Amino acid sequence: MILATAELIGIFKWLHGLLVDLGLKEPWLTVVVYGLLSVTIFGVLCLIALFLVWWERKIAGHIQQRFGPMRNGWHGWYQTVMDALKLLQKEDILVDTRDRPVFFWAPVICFVAAFLAYIVIPFGKGLIVADLNIGILYIIAITTFTVISLLMAGWGSHNKYALLGGMRSAAQVVSYEVPMVASILTVIIFSGSLSMVDITESQQGNFIFNWFIFRPPFGIIAFITYIIAATAEANRTPFDIPEAEQELVAGFNIEYSGMKFAMFFLAEFVNMFTVSAIATTLFLGGWNGPLLPSWLWFLGKTLLVVLLLMVFRWTFPRLRVDQLMEFAWKFLVPLTFANLILAGWMKYAGWYW
Amino acid sequence: MSKLRTEEFTVNMGPHHPSTHGVCRLILTMDGEKVVKIEPVIGYLHRSMEKICENRTYAQCVPLMDRFEYVTAMSAEYVFVNAVEKLAEVEVPERAEYLRVIMLELNRIASHLIFYGSTAMDIGALTPFIYGLRERELIIDLFEMTCGQRLTYNYMKIGGVSHDIPKEFIPKCREAVKIISEKMSDYEGLLNENPIWLARTKNIGVLSADKAIAYGVSGPILRASGVKYDIRKNEPYSIYDRLDFNIPTRPNGDCYDRYCLRLDEIRESLKIISQALDGLPEGDTLKKVNPFNFRPPAGEIYSRIENSRGEMGVYIVSDGSTKPLRVKMRGSSYNHIQIIPELAPGGLIADLVAIFATFDVIMPEVDR
Amino acid sequence: MTRDELKEYIAGHLEGKLKPLDSGKFNPLFEVIESDLLTVAQVLRDDENLKFDFLSCISGIDTGERFEIIYSLTSLAKNHRLELKVVLSRENPEVESVQGIWPAANWYEREIWELYGFDIKNHGNLTRFLLADDWDQGYPLRKDWDAPDFVRFPELER
Repeated sequence: MILATAELIGIFKWLHGLLVDLGLKEPWLTVVVYGLLSVTIFGVLCLIALFLVWWERKIAGHIQQRFGPMRNGWHGWYQTVMDALKLLQKEDILVDTRDRPVFFWAPVICFVAAFLAYIVIPFGKGLIVADLNIGILYIIAITTFTVISLLMAGWGSHNKYALLGGMRSAAQVVSYEVPMVASILTVIIFSGSLSMVDITESQQGNFIFNWFIFRPPFGIIAFITYIIAATAEANRTPFDIPEAEQELVAGFNIEYSGMKFAMFFLAEFVNMFTVSAIATTLFLGGWNGPLLPSWLWFLGKTLLVVLLLMVFRWTFPRLRVDQLMEFAWKFLVPLTFANLILAGWMKYAGWYW
Repeated sequence: MSKLRTEEFTVNMGPHHPSTHGVCRLILTMDGEKVVKIEPVIGYLHRSMEKICENRTYAQCVPLMDRFEYVTAMSAEYVFVNAVEKLAEVEVPERAEYLRVIMLELNRIASHLIFYGSTAMDIGALTPFIYGLRERELIIDLFEMTCGQRLTYNYMKIGGVSHDIPKEFIPKCREAVKIISEKMSDYEGLLNENPIWLARTKNIGVLSADKAIAYGVSGPILRASGVKYDIRKNEPYSIYDRLDFNIPTRPNGDCYDRYCLRLDEIRESLKIISQALDGLPEGDTLKKVNPFNFRPPAGEIYSRIENSRGEMGVYIVSDGSTKPLRVKMRGSSYNHIQIIPELAPGGLIADLVAIFATFDVIMPEVDR
Repeated sequence: MTRDELKEYIAGHLEGKLKPLDSGKFNPLFEVIESDLLTVAQVLRDDENLKFDFLSCISGIDTGERFEIIYSLTSLAKNHRLELKVVLSRENPEVESVQGIWPAANWYEREIWELYGFDIKNHGNLTRFLLADDWDQGYPLRKDWDAPDFVRFPELER
């Protein structure tokens, strides 16, 4: 197939070969290759984040029966590029009473943590930076970093709204981590491995029906609970209480402006893409799929999940903070654990698989 | 084990907080997320309109009234004009009365649509805001077509209305009525049965009927507490006694009822507009009075109407000269904001936002 | 009850405490002496046939010669309206608070205290809220008040 030759892995293999031909030796070869890889991934993700901002605005517009951005280019396609340039040029307004190091490092940590997860995400067949054997565990550990940065932002801003926002986000992320991990564990029971590549490969074959989402009822329940928990993890409506605009004005990022705000903002969209990419890998078969090249499958599925999250945002009201906690601890946690135990039992009994 | 010690702290909500609708400032004493005490601070929009009115002729006061309540400026004009007409016993042409009622009800719908949008936005749903404003645009276009203005109309005059409607007004108005009544199911479909919406509004900020009456709460909020009282029925002004409409009420007095009641009211207003359009007679629209030498006889009057937020009244004292001796304006938000410190403590800050939103307070009416 | 019946009923019921006035053009208007205000208000609210449970508005008036306060009352149950007028002396304007009868009076009385300078007895919360906190330019709604040429804001003088 012509399309199958469009696998991106070929480019990297060619690049690697080129470097070897040029006479580059270890350890410099590793440094250059990984350096190039991280720059590529960083660039691609920044582009994706910019695209997602634009896409979100278009989707919001169409849900609300208007157009969204229309002025810059075809349907405003470079609107967010201009927005980012504007934010870059803006004056960084600072509060005198801020806690200087904490205030400075909060957006940096948020931004970096958002990108770290991509080390173990398989974008396509063989397209992975490092296939860690504890891949998914690593992701869970890394994504939790975000909450530290939000707490730091809340504390460092010296603002009561920001502090409330930071505290809310800590409470929320800690609560929703539990059902999220429980639903991820269901998948690990199915696949028997923590490695992202192994998880993807165990969903191969049988057209698309080997995907873990098609293992009723446990797969579908785990998928739904994961999506709910992931929405909370990414701080999006209906779980966006840390930055609830109408209650806390802007929550933890109330005192941030200019590029620091942009870092939070972009990290939010990268996080959204991360949780969708994880959902794709774990439940929707990752890069598996007939006909089309694997990276395209991966991107398409991920964007589909992102679309789902966006539709949530523009149709639901926001939950109250105590209702949010109740929902996590009284409903999601029992449900996911029951799901996990039953799935494990079924697997042990060998009834399904 | 000793009880966990918590510390109260003060948060300054406003004057320019996104959900205090204008420039209201609430000083909150909070225990974590819980609101312990609320102290409203008003006066950021104080324009001393009552003092200004004392130095103007009656006709010059009318455009000021637009600024008294700019979301339903028509009713603010009407309450003043109506009071002056009663005081001076000016006969208003029939057609003008019909046009006034059409405009008042259109403006009530516009105001309730803003309420629908802003309340949903305060509770976190952003889409209904655009939905509400989209249909409001149809109404604002009708106003623009009639009097050239979109927000502050200066349409009501002492003795009638300033302009007759253009030819294309009636078909456009009927079309707008049709579109809005079709869109009503959209509005309700977005929120009414949404479990998150129900969790956020049901049994939040329950206001009992007794308390509402004691605190002078009026309009939709009073009716949502189960009191069937509407000045349009109980003390009919203009041509409301000839029109057939219901007064919707709701029993519980919580945020959800206040929200539903306003949607019900939009339906009733649509009915009124259709009837008024059907019965619109031909004839003059303005009985000319000399605006510079208009002298109502000495006397005093408290006249009130039902606007979209409740009882809007004006107390005019005339000493027989061209200028009023005293104009006191009564906006219903003034009473409504007064009861919020009684209602919200004990709830979370998110509940306070929901209560404030469903009270539909606007600040120019409070500060004047 | 029609307007005239109401007028008659009140005049008969509260003989000697109220004086009907003709200047009220729309609703019945009565004058009441300041010392009788609370008793009259209590009767108006609690009487079976009157039930004035809803305080619409309190307006202060400065006619140039004397100070007045108007209480606009409504009965939601019986559907009738009434206005009460209290005349205050120019030298020492003071009036009893009616908050105990109609809690709605709170802010109206506060506003009258602030803009007219009438002393409201037993109010409990007479603090400025429409004007600036450090306002010392007199009472703006009085007829003999002269607008100061400009107001100096202390924070701009630093």
